[in-house]
Amino acid sequence: MNCTPLDHLLTWSGRILVALILGFVLLPFVVVLIASFNHSSILTFPPQDWSLRWYAHAFEYDDFADGVKNSLIIAAFGSTLALVAGTGFAYVLNRYEFRGKATLHAVLMSSLVIPNFTIGLGLLILAASVSIPRSMGLLVFLHITIVLPFVVRSVYVSLQNFERQLEAAAESLGAAPRRVLFTITLPLLLPGLAAGWLFAAILSFNEFTASLFLVNQRTQTLPVAMYNYVREYADPTLAAVSVIYVVAVAAMLILAHIFFRLEKVLNVD
Amino acid sequence: MTKRPFLGWFVTPAGLIAIGIAASFLAILQYSLRAHVPGMLDPGGFTFDNFTTLLKPAYGKAFITTVLLCFWTALFTLLIGYPLAFAMLRTRSGWVRGAMLIITLTPLFLGEVVRTYSWIIVLGNQGFLNSALLGLGLIDEPISFMFTTMGVVIALVHFTLPIVVIMLAAAIAHIDRKLEQAAFSLGAGRVRVFLTVTLPLSVPGIVAASSTAFAWTFSAFATPQMIGGGQVVTISTLVYQVGFASFNFPLAASLSLAGLLFTIAVLSIFNLGMRRIERQGAY
Amino acid sequence: MLIDPKLQQPAEAVPGQPPARPAVKIDGVSKSFDGTLALEPTWLKIRKGEFLTLLGPSGCGKTTLLNLVAGFLEPDKGELFIDDALVTQVPVHKREIGIVFQNYALFPHMNVLKNVEYGLRTRGVPAAEARDRAMETLRLVKLDQFADRRPKQLSGGQQQRVALARALVIRPKVLLLDEPFSALDRNLRAAMQIELKEIQHSLGVTTIFVTHDQGEALSMSDRIAVMSKGRVRQIGSPEEIYASPADRFVGTFVGDANLLTGTVTTSESGTLTLDLAGTALTLPQSAAPEAAAGETVELFARPEACQLVAPGTPGAVPATVSFAVYQGAHVELHLACPAAAEGPIMLRVPVANVPKVGAAVAVALPEAPVIFTGEAQ
Ligand SMILES: Nc1ncnc2c1ncn2[C@@H]1O[C@H](COP(=O)(O)OP(=O)(O)OP(=O)(O)O)[C@@H](O)[C@H]1O
Ligand SMILES: [Mg+2]
Repeated sequence: MNCTPLDHLLTWSGRILVALILGFVLLPFVVVLIASFNHSSILTFPPQDWSLRWYAHAFEYDDFADGVKNSLIIAAFGSTLALVAGTGFAYVLNRYEFRGKATLHAVLMSSLVIPNFTIGLGLLILAASVSIPRSMGLLVFLHITIVLPFVVRSVYVSLQNFERQLEAAAESLGAAPRRVLFTITLPLLLPGLAAGWLFAAILSFNEFTASLFLVNQRTQTLPVAMYNYVREYADPTLAAVSVIYVVAVAAMLILAHIFFRLEKVLNVD
Repeated sequence: MTKRPFLGWFVTPAGLIAIGIAASFLAILQYSLRAHVPGMLDPGGFTFDNFTTLLKPAYGKAFITTVLLCFWTALFTLLIGYPLAFAMLRTRSGWVRGAMLIITLTPLFLGEVVRTYSWIIVLGNQGFLNSALLGLGLIDEPISFMFTTMGVVIALVHFTLPIVVIMLAAAIAHIDRKLEQAAFSLGAGRVRVFLTVTLPLSVPGIVAASSTAFAWTFSAFATPQMIGGGQVVTISTLVYQVGFASFNFPLAASLSLAGLLFTIAVLSIFNLGMRRIERQGAY
Repeated sequence: MLIDPKLQQPAEAVPGQPPARPAVKIDGVSKSFDGTLALEPTWLKIRKGEFLTLLGPSGCGKTTLLNLVAGFLEPDKGELFIDDALVTQVPVHKREIGIVFQNYALFPHMNVLKNVEYGLRTRGVPAAEARDRAMETLRLVKLDQFADRRPKQLSGGQQQRVALARALVIRPKVLLLDEPFSALDRNLRAAMQIELKEIQHSLGVTTIFVTHDQGEALSMSDRIAVMSKGRVRQIGSPEEIYASPADRFVGTFVGDANLLTGTVTTSESGTLTLDLAGTALTLPQSAAPEAAAGETVELFARPEACQLVAPGTPGAVPATVSFAVYQGAHVELHLACPAAAEGPIMLRVPVANVPKVGAAVAVALPEAPVIFTGEAQ
């Protein structure tokens, strides 16, 4: 391709534009990083004094510790149960016709369309009207309903790419349906199951809006604890928490990129 | 011969969850038709009053605000998401592409609260942006981003950008490069090839991305709540306020229901448009 | 390509002893999908140790029939017996069959040994014994040194042999193979055909083999069932199928065929005279006993049964050379002939003896050609 001055101009203005956009994406994280080292509890730019005290405070603050614990428990149970239910459902969705299949599918996938605040409100009202206390169990159920569609999708895609003939071969070799399921189907679906579970767990760990409707002081999740902290205090503790969050997520993505190539995972190469 | 092994075992857990979902939906429906008894958490008798209340200007305004937020957010997200997705796919360096992907995706896994909090620090009156502009002498007094639609839109664009970029990139990646090469070979310049080949062929992706941007913005709560600070009232913040400040759950229920119907209507329009585009593409 | 003639012998009943009971009996089995008949009611008996091939064009119902025997499909009507036991309602995993699939269907998450052991482990064979038997079967297919490899690390032919070992190790009552060699290249395919035939013969396993390759069917089978449009058109040994096709479809699908259209002039007192576009031909009446005078019939002759003779030879059909195709060992001569039912007439002549294109020649037909009457579609 011959490069005219106009081409150069185009190339460079394109690069600058993209750099600006990436700058926009990064800006809040850079700012939050600076703010997290601000010594005083009143934020000023540029900070007058530097310190690590907000990091220390973040680790000492009980609500965050409890929030992390609750969020981990909810994410672990929620995504695991969603994986069990979602895998079973994706399986029958992929293979069988039965009465009410379309309805069941529509109901289970509805949380993709229904805003989270509506899901939260609905479950809150339901729990209140049948006198279920606002317990961890209720939160786990809420998270199952929210992450289930993602698990179903992930497993369903794996099942669509699954070579059914392998099951036929196992069957012909004398394997009863249950044996086929546990020695052939599930082991081969494992990558899809793992991806679905991981995505569900991350989603669940970060879920905020719907949980806000259902938590109480004891069952507060980490995002809710952070939200409540911002409402009560103006100091940069949350900046420190945010930095930890950003670093953890970025590290995870970098690892994922090194091992799996993100462009492949996202189907954009 | 067992024709459908495991059917019962596999449907049952999903069925129980579906019953829970359906029941909470019915609970909303039921509450939306019940009277609010002030000072009581339990609702009163059946009534349509909640829906007539929704006709009051305050609620109509929340709808309009929400729609405007959705519109501006989708528009700006597309405007900055498209060049990013395009550059990500067209860059020749794998290193650059990886870095762009990681930077773009990181916000997706942060959760609403962390992202919104970060923007508060950027946009606040003593925040980074105003301090910088004041320090540089570009402005004399702080611009108010907080508690304004503009501030909320800025944070929401950041919120929806990752998913929109992923969807656009997937759409652009599936355009056959040979079509662009064919256009080049016919003597078209880069701008013309982009405008006449790449852009039109990515329209389905653009429509899908807009519809997702809409749904995400519509259900956003932390951002309008924290940055809007009660000044930018959306349906989500209003539902929360009516529920948890006035404990008027019947009204909150009917408001959610109205919002849901609205979402479904808008998403159906997107779907319809999508199908039209696909049908045209088939010819 | 012929294998050891011994192998070609059908496993027939020993004279003087009662006939062996069929290993597989297909009794009026039919199957339709969404109202369209994929397999018409079919009756078939397969002898113990027999190698039966289902041969037919794509979509004729071969896989359907095989899947019915395997149990992957349930017949609409009819019953299936394996070793005299009614199995119509028996699920696949209890039928004791071995299947080799076209794309091998090896378990990608298990190594070769684990693949072959699988069928034994499902039967509760203890680990050590399963291992020994699997290794033994792998030796049979000459793959014992690859026991630790994953399927993906093997060539196509090797994978095919693993699939065969996996199906054989369980000593199946019937071995089912659905176009097992279609993914292999030509040379490998020929080698695998011989190997399969040898193994099958040495184990004496009853085999149903599906193919649409007539050469493969002719070289391997004890009997061939030629199928078309969901119907078995003819069953017989390869020789019978080749030499005396039951109808036009079988004749043209298996091997090369020349078809000539003729009109019956007389059919009486043991003689049949035909008019082949002006050439009179006299045949024994037994060639087409039911043909009546005035009826249009088709005369069927293999290229190697036809001879090139000088023009004007009595009883020979005049023709003109349209073109010649050099094939190495011989030349394929295509002749335009007024009597030809469709396309040119083809015969093979030695390379040394090729007439010029455009030359007028004549074709002498075999003394007892096959005549198709009536439904000469
Ligand atoms: N599951 C099915 N649903 C509907 N129609 C089917 C199904 N399986 C087979 N058929 C139809 O039945 C007919 C016979 O199919 P079958 O697979 O038995 O053919 P085949 O002889 O094995 O062909 P090929 O050589 O192409 O494998 C075909 O017309 C096919 O379209
Ligand atoms: Mg087939």
